[in-house]
Amino acid sequence: MNCVLDKSVSGISFDGFGVCNYCNNYKKNLPQMSNLHSSDDLDKLVSDIKEAGKGKDYDCLIGLSGGVDSSYLAYFAVGKLGLRPLTVHFDNGWNSSLATENVNKLVTSLKLELRTYVIDWEEFRDIQLAYLKASVVDIEVPTDHFIMAVMHKYAHENKIKYILNGCNTSSESIMPKEWNFVKEDLANLIDIHQKFGERKLKRFPNFGLKQRLYFQYILGIKQIYPLNYIPYHIEEAKAFLAKEFGWQDHGGKHYESVWTRFYQGYILPKKFKIDKRKAHYSSLILSGQMDRKTALELLKEEPYPVKIQNQDVEYITRKLGLSEESFEKIMKSEPVSHLKFKTEYPHIECWTKVFQIAEEFIFYFFRPLKALGYIKYKVGSILKYFKIVS
Amino acid sequence: MLLLKGNGLYKTRKFKKPIYIGDPINAVKIFSEKEVDEIALLDIDASLKKTIPNYQLIEDIASECFVPLTYGGGVSSIEQFKTVLSLGVEKIAINSALFLDNNLVEESASIFGKQSIVASIDVRKRFWTYSAYTHGGKVRVKMSLSQVLDNLKSKQIGEILLNSIDNDGTMEGYDLDLIEKVSSNATVPVTACGGCSDINNFRDALKHGASAVAAGSLFVFKGSRNAVLINYPSQSMLNESVFSTL
Amino acid sequence: MYPDVTIVDLGCSNLRSIQKILNRVGSSAFVTSDPQEISTAKKLVLPGVGSFDHAVKQLKQNHLLDSLNYSVLKRKVPILGICLGAQLMSQLSDEGSESGLGWFDFKTISFQTNTFNTLKVPHMGWQEIQIKRKSNLFNNTQDGTRFYFLHSFHFSNDKLDDITATTNYGYNFPVAFERDNIFGVQFHPEKSGRNGIRFMENFTKI
Repeated sequence: MNCVLDKSVSGISFDGFGVCNYCNNYKKNLPQMSNLHSSDDLDKLVSDIKEAGKGKDYDCLIGLSGGVDSSYLAYFAVGKLGLRPLTVHFDNGWNSSLATENVNKLVTSLKLELRTYVIDWEEFRDIQLAYLKASVVDIEVPTDHFIMAVMHKYAHENKIKYILNGCNTSSESIMPKEWNFVKEDLANLIDIHQKFGERKLKRFPNFGLKQRLYFQYILGIKQIYPLNYIPYHIEEAKAFLAKEFGWQDHGGKHYESVWTRFYQGYILPKKFKIDKRKAHYSSLILSGQMDRKTALELLKEEPYPVKIQNQDVEYITRKLGLSEESFEKIMKSEPVSHLKFKTEYPHIECWTKVFQIAEEFIFYFFRPLKALGYIKYKVGSILKYFKIVS
Repeated sequence: MLLLKGNGLYKTRKFKKPIYIGDPINAVKIFSEKEVDEIALLDIDASLKKTIPNYQLIEDIASECFVPLTYGGGVSSIEQFKTVLSLGVEKIAINSALFLDNNLVEESASIFGKQSIVASIDVRKRFWTYSAYTHGGKVRVKMSLSQVLDNLKSKQIGEILLNSIDNDGTMEGYDLDLIEKVSSNATVPVTACGGCSDINNFRDALKHGASAVAAGSLFVFKGSRNAVLINYPSQSMLNESVFSTL
Repeated sequence: MYPDVTIVDLGCSNLRSIQKILNRVGSSAFVTSDPQEISTAKKLVLPGVGSFDHAVKQLKQNHLLDSLNYSVLKRKVPILGICLGAQLMSQLSDEGSESGLGWFDFKTISFQTNTFNTLKVPHMGWQEIQIKRKSNLFNNTQDGTRFYFLHSFHFSNDKLDDITATTNYGYNFPVAFERDNIFGVQFHPEKSGRNGIRFMENFTKI
């Protein structure tokens, strides 16, 4: 089955059968993805998490937005895996009433321990405005950046080694690279803000390359994606959450945030000519959760009702302190690449690889038998690659 | 009950130690969508710092509010009264200005009607007696609370908003003695505030004479760690726990 | 370009909220105290917060009586009076000495606190209404729907045919009335959450 990405997606190419490179990559990686995450792997993972959490208040941390993925993850972790998470809710000033209700219901029903991080709105508004004026595509970077910073900080404070993340390949396997930017590129964020922001950033939590390497490799805090270990079906998850907890749907992926709804449903399509629904529906098509015809029908409609879009324009420009003319100017200005600003991008891949290798080396150094097994596996892979063995 | 400090929303404990709650515009938008009965927005710095109301912020907040909105903080003249009302606010809460020698209350009532005037009384227990305070709980009103309430009877006010400073932010229950004392002495509705920890407290306050109940911490914190999360009980929960038992 | 709804500015009311709720339901709304603009309006809202006499004096000072009568009684433009605005449509009020617009036969009277002496005035808060007869303003609205009230005086029970809804605060009294193109409500739809939004949407469809 083919996805619904089209020629408008930069970086896309089609083979002789009309199948795009994203679909081909997905099919190529599928066996590897399925093999990696068997139920034995899940049991092992749960056992590791519980072991690491023995004698502590919590054994893992979950970011709870009120959206379907994080809500289902919270239920799955507590109800099915028997874990003891600390749940964290992030308030970037754009929470919807529905999101707070969903979080409230889950916390009450599952008896979750909740902490909330409320970002300083005046500073955050300044950063968001800077991103809008810079005309870069990924205006969600500031939110995603501070969420990662705070999750790792809270994990460390509470002696938690495992952060459970609701991201999943079932609904998010397809995403054109040009539609996003690296969330932990602190140099990029600071440069954009310095050029277009007006306030000094005193309280914004940082999570650049240095911080990530420190938390991940020195402190050993891992990010895990449990929803990749099970056959995760989004509509079934929504129906289950609604029935068990009275959870309510926001009507779109990530629409639990008023800002994200506006960014994905208004700014991206109108200014950047990007419709993220194409990527989301494509993921669902490839994982058998949606048929292509339905996806194409849905794509003909507006991302969300025009009446609400107009209300959002009014609300968002008012909250950001933008005049109608300034907002129009921003919407009409040409998109600018993130790489036009300072970036940690070249260093991120390189240093991450260095630390990965160092971690593996240290791991196997103290486990000679495991090291032998690993070397045998690697040699076997190389021989198979060059077709010396089958 | 939402407290404004600068441009941010805060929550206090006994009128001290403000905790940042977030952006007031979004908070009011959420409460309005949750169909709260009424929102009271009090600027806790205005009287102390002698600042005028932040009209732009009030307007921005009121734009997202489709439920009744009361504003208090720094309103001390008719012009300010008129301006704030015109921004989308139903009632003005007056605290410090109540004890100044002016005709603000009478003049406002004659133009805007007494239902738009709320007398906000902050009370702390001092040596076993209750006293009224102004300027964010920092300046004690010299006359006794009984005298304050008697004086209010002759003023053209629509409502008394009664804040217990001692119980504020403690979530240990309302000061029911204070509520009874003030309600029995008042000819206008009394809204009780300060100390509410769960919706069953509402019933107690109403049974002790309050016409209405207000809460701050209950609606912005969740769980044992007081995580900031805006929440409000549904109408059916309120009917079941509170109204059906009265 | 004429706005969809013209809001009459009496200098003593919460105009911004009315404007916001009309915008929310998709109508353009314009606030004015100009007699010319009122004479040519497509639809009118007469809000009011404050005292009866002060509001009547404002109507007279701004020469609005003629243009209101012209638009409403001659051109039959739909008009919605809210709270004091609706009370102004009566003959007179216990609150003051001025005469109202007189479009309806009822009076605006004080709460009967002599008979019901535990009643606290003003009547302030959310109250359920009982719908007495069919009205386009109450489309998709059930009996028992809550609206927000804030008033110290209320409509008398004089002209029963015109009454479309009542409420009970101590005793029953009318809270909504209409005849032809003229509508008046004691409650504040602009502060009644979703119920108010639905109500105003119904008004814009008339």
